[in-house]
Amino acid sequence: MDRERLTRSLDRLVDATVLERLAISLAALAVAVVVGGVIVFLSGAVATCRDPALVLGGTAMCYDPIEVYLTLADGAFGSATNLGLTLQETTLLLFTGLSVAVAFRAGLFNIGTQGQMVLGGLASALAVLWVAPVLPASGLGALVAIPVAVLVGAIVGGLYGALPGAMKAYADAHEVITTIMLNFVAMGVAFYLVRNHLGDPTTDAVQTPSVPEFVRLSPTISGTRFSVVALGFGLVTAVLVYLLYERTVLGYDLRTSGLAPEAAEYGGVNAERNIVTSMTLSGALGGVAGAMYVLMILYRWQTSMPPLGFDGIAVSILAANNPLGVIPAALLFGAMKGGAIQIDFALGVPPELVEVLRGLIILFVAMPEFFRMLGTRAGYGSEEGAVATDGGSEGGGRDG
Amino acid sequence: MDNPARIDRRAGLAGGAVIAVLFLVILVPGVRQLGVGVLSVLDASYVRSALRLTVPIAFAGMGGIFAEKSGVINIGLEGLLIVAAFSAIAVLWWLGGTTGALALAFLAAVLASTAIALLFAVVCIDFKADQIIAGLAVWLIALGFAPFGSIIIWETVNSPSVGTFDPLALPVLVEIPFLGPALFRSTPPVYLLLLAVPFSWYLLNRTTFGKHLQASGEDPKTLDTAGISVRKVRYAGVLISGVYCGLGGAGLALNAGQFIGGGETITAGRGWIGITTYLLANYNPVGAFGASVFFAGLDALQLQLQRVGGVEISSTLVGILPYVAVLVILGFVGKTRMPGAAGEHYESED
Amino acid sequence: MSGQDGPSMRDSGGSKYAVRMDGITKRFPGVVANDDVDFAVERGTVHALVGENGAGKTTLMNVLYGLYEPTEGTVYVDGRPREFDSPRDAIDAGVGMIHQHFMLVDPMTVAENLVLGVEPTKWFGLVTDEAQAVADTRELAERYGFDIDPTERVQEISVGEQQRVEILKALYRGAEVLVLDEPTAVLTPQEVESLFAVFEELVAEGKTIVFITHKLGEALTAADDISVLRDGRLVGTVRAGETTREELATMMVGREVLLEVTSEPADRGPETLAVDDLVVTDDRGVRAVDGVSFAVQAGEVFGVAGVDGNGQSELVEAVTGLRQPESGAVTLAGEEITHDSRRERIEAGVSYIAEDRQHRSLVLEYDLLRNGLLGGQTLPEFSDGRLIDWGRTRSFVERVIEEYDVRPPDASASARSLSGGNQQKMVVGREFERDPVLMVASHPTRGVDIGSIEFVHNRLLDLRTEGVAVLLVSSKLEEVQRLADRMAVMYDGRFVDVVDPDAVTEEEVGLLMAGEYPDDYERGEGEKRATTEDRPTDTANID
Repeated sequence: MDRERLTRSLDRLVDATVLERLAISLAALAVAVVVGGVIVFLSGAVATCRDPALVLGGTAMCYDPIEVYLTLADGAFGSATNLGLTLQETTLLLFTGLSVAVAFRAGLFNIGTQGQMVLGGLASALAVLWVAPVLPASGLGALVAIPVAVLVGAIVGGLYGALPGAMKAYADAHEVITTIMLNFVAMGVAFYLVRNHLGDPTTDAVQTPSVPEFVRLSPTISGTRFSVVALGFGLVTAVLVYLLYERTVLGYDLRTSGLAPEAAEYGGVNAERNIVTSMTLSGALGGVAGAMYVLMILYRWQTSMPPLGFDGIAVSILAANNPLGVIPAALLFGAMKGGAIQIDFALGVPPELVEVLRGLIILFVAMPEFFRMLGTRAGYGSEEGAVATDGGSEGGGRDG
Repeated sequence: MDNPARIDRRAGLAGGAVIAVLFLVILVPGVRQLGVGVLSVLDASYVRSALRLTVPIAFAGMGGIFAEKSGVINIGLEGLLIVAAFSAIAVLWWLGGTTGALALAFLAAVLASTAIALLFAVVCIDFKADQIIAGLAVWLIALGFAPFGSIIIWETVNSPSVGTFDPLALPVLVEIPFLGPALFRSTPPVYLLLLAVPFSWYLLNRTTFGKHLQASGEDPKTLDTAGISVRKVRYAGVLISGVYCGLGGAGLALNAGQFIGGGETITAGRGWIGITTYLLANYNPVGAFGASVFFAGLDALQLQLQRVGGVEISSTLVGILPYVAVLVILGFVGKTRMPGAAGEHYESED
Repeated sequence: MSGQDGPSMRDSGGSKYAVRMDGITKRFPGVVANDDVDFAVERGTVHALVGENGAGKTTLMNVLYGLYEPTEGTVYVDGRPREFDSPRDAIDAGVGMIHQHFMLVDPMTVAENLVLGVEPTKWFGLVTDEAQAVADTRELAERYGFDIDPTERVQEISVGEQQRVEILKALYRGAEVLVLDEPTAVLTPQEVESLFAVFEELVAEGKTIVFITHKLGEALTAADDISVLRDGRLVGTVRAGETTREELATMMVGREVLLEVTSEPADRGPETLAVDDLVVTDDRGVRAVDGVSFAVQAGEVFGVAGVDGNGQSELVEAVTGLRQPESGAVTLAGEEITHDSRRERIEAGVSYIAEDRQHRSLVLEYDLLRNGLLGGQTLPEFSDGRLIDWGRTRSFVERVIEEYDVRPPDASASARSLSGGNQQKMVVGREFERDPVLMVASHPTRGVDIGSIEFVHNRLLDLRTEGVAVLLVSSKLEEVQRLADRMAVMYDGRFVDVVDPDAVTEEEVGLLMAGEYPDDYERGEGEKRATTEDRPTDTANID
């Protein structure tokens, strides 16, 4: 394929539907921010505080939403440390977001990223603990141990993703239900294994021993756990996933199998096998997220991992499941997580606010019709196309 | 996926299960002990505690039936339970020890859950949102809002203890041997549940509304041409799921007397188990209740065994049993047939 | 029934006509579907509305049924002018419509369907009176001589029985006029016959029936009066007893009807496809194709005619690689491909237009660019096996869009947004332009507007001229007769006969489609093993 043609097709790929999805995502974000602001403002009436932002008819309103958002932004980007915190979250969300997006691209809704991450992370920690003693405690050792950790995380996460994939493909079990169940199972099994068999015997906490110094991804910004190597790996992964789906036959086959299995078979594809492949890939990325969490953040596996898998759903949905869109979406959610500590610290606003915002964003992205209606009411767009006549009325298709 | 293969697989599964059980009994000494332990805790108080744990699961499950039968998949049941549980405790805390506070808190929880269900209905039915994603959003919002609200009110993610329903012995009935103390010395939410099960079955199977609900989920166009508003029927289905989750969530919270906002919150995935109960029971409320009793019974057993002690079995592993059961059933045994048009939007032509 | 002399006059409504439509014009953007149509149906008669696909029959009936509002003109029911805003108004006025796709809730019982929306209740409306519903259903069914169990689920009864439930449903709602849209399209010949017997019963009860068909034989057999529509206009209304098939055909088509091939037969080349004693089972494990053998040469159109559901789909799937046969062989250009995968067959030059284009031939979520690649992912023209060459795919798709007149002419339009005809043109173009060796076209013009039908037909014949072997499967007899060089008639999993389409009459083929041989019939060249002498004979009225 010559270069000119490649540029041309790249240009065309950024088409109207992508723009529309972008507009919907931004609108959803804006509405979620406004609704979240209202919630913060109103909850300020219930909260107790020393110096309220506003006194309304005798009721002290503790929080000023604008100040909350500014503080959130400051907490996310205000200093090198804050930026580091944001970027470390961003890195993890890149992987979980991609995990969800890979499945979504193929028409599969993987809610199980969380479970895949939990097991992938555990396997990765155990692999490192097992392999580290025989390695030199140096950069060379790291060059072996870190890839092994990531690979093991990917394999275990991938296998755990393949399970609901196979159940979907061969037993027609809905992946939303199975992956949710498997999340609970993963957490239970990991908890059991670590507490009863594999845990650190020196402590009551349900956790593994910590991994040796040389295997850890060293922080790029001191005072944080942000590693630019991990971020770079995440960005490269995003581009690779993008290229997989946009450029390769495998990506096309995977996507077609998930969206329309019968059409995929018509097109010469084994739809069932591809559904399993999609879920395996998705699970592998979830497993890598778990490995990153162990190598970069905690240096060990510990029970009650943060809900990065669920955040990944939000990241992917906001990104319209576009692997490249996952990058800014992960940054946004990373910033929210990074800044959450600041709103608690500076203003006393519960950091769980960002989880409410996460839910609101998902909710509003889920209802594009709402924004289309707003648009139509404002005078844009047309109502309906032509009605087909006798004999031609079979087309059109149903509402998706 | 043709018939012979399915039969082979079932046979294989049955064989596998038998081998697994034998393996457990022979090789794991804990299992033998477990048998003894289990027998020792099965009494009327165990049944009562199991029934109390059944309340949130069964109400969520039956609520889910109404929504999904109408054609709206409500996977936000867990979120509705959280909202109800939080509202119940928050209102009770606010009212303090006033008379009738428990009843008011209960009512407030139902209203709060129903209000969120109404919002979900608007989003799904009128704004044609993707039902799965919107349901997920309801869950995630509730999951974030509950600890947020807890901190706002109580400055910590968990509420203080505020009071619970007292058991209410029903005269005469409580005198029946075993059954009496097991069933008729329960709390009001349990009685409500025992009434709601036959009521739901009746509503679904014997009333005109039940038929319309079914038609709305299976073939909305046919219902529409028969002159019934699909939109209204679907709204009704979703709102009932809101009311039921309100009852379930309030029952759960007012049984514990406290709201726990950390982690999975006090509901701890019971809404999700509720979904699985009706999938297992193929949308039959009586079956969903039965499955709920089973899961809650396991849960209660685990609590009792912990209390008795001396039994070498991990409570965590018992805890994941319901989920494993669902996976096995979904993967190997029957396929649950969802209503034909569940998850699809319907637009009336006139 | 046509023996009845004139319509029976009843004095219930004061008007001689149960339905009268005066000067009906219905315009859609860019199309006039009905143009000043005057249509009247006498009370207590059976009235057939005939015309080719796209003549405006269904539009006219949708106006009567309140689905469309007429642009101009008035509808009278029972002599009174009506304005129907919705089908409900039409039902209230006593007009019941039975659509091609039945309005029945499959998992519900016959009785539940019958009373849906108008359920009898007891205990002050708290309970559906199911006993009453069942009794009402039974009574109504008995009155019209239907043998239907009210407690059976709709999904468990046959299509013919479902149609009767639809009729009962309309009657239960007080319909005096029943409108049926192509009621025979989904029926077996026997079911068609008993449907016409039902018409007689209904008319005897004073009901009025309008049915849409494009089969002239049916209209002549079952109707008292026949109205012919052509290009949205009413050509005329005639008494069934006073007309002939030829006269009707001329009215319908507007010229003398000649069943002639529109292009010269091409030079036949070597044998491209050979199917030998093929046995294929369907999804339920039932033998759907039961020992079929035939061969198609390069430059030949081999047609398979038959009523839907006689094994055509399974045959096509076994040839194209979507279904593994139980036994037998499929050979393409001398190479056996019986167990080759679908992808291997695509690469070997098997193009395929599937009958269910919305689920098989297209991914509705994709734009036309991505749909243009479907099936061709591994062809050297579009990829190196791993990386897709979107540039070449795009120029291919743009060529298809232009040459096949796909509208809108925009490669980034989603397939879902296209009309049925344009979706099919996209599919046809994609499959035709891949330089196939064998073209398998299954119902290539189903649900396609008349302009596109002509287009698809001409392209198929062009393909033949180019030396491609074409396997054409269609339930439209006209289509197969017009296009095929040789025509097999499939019934119950076998080829009843293989004939020269020009040498047989419609009646003869019609009988073959019902699995029997006409009197004094000389068998065609047919593949002998595919036929049997001991078929059960049943007399069916199909045209």
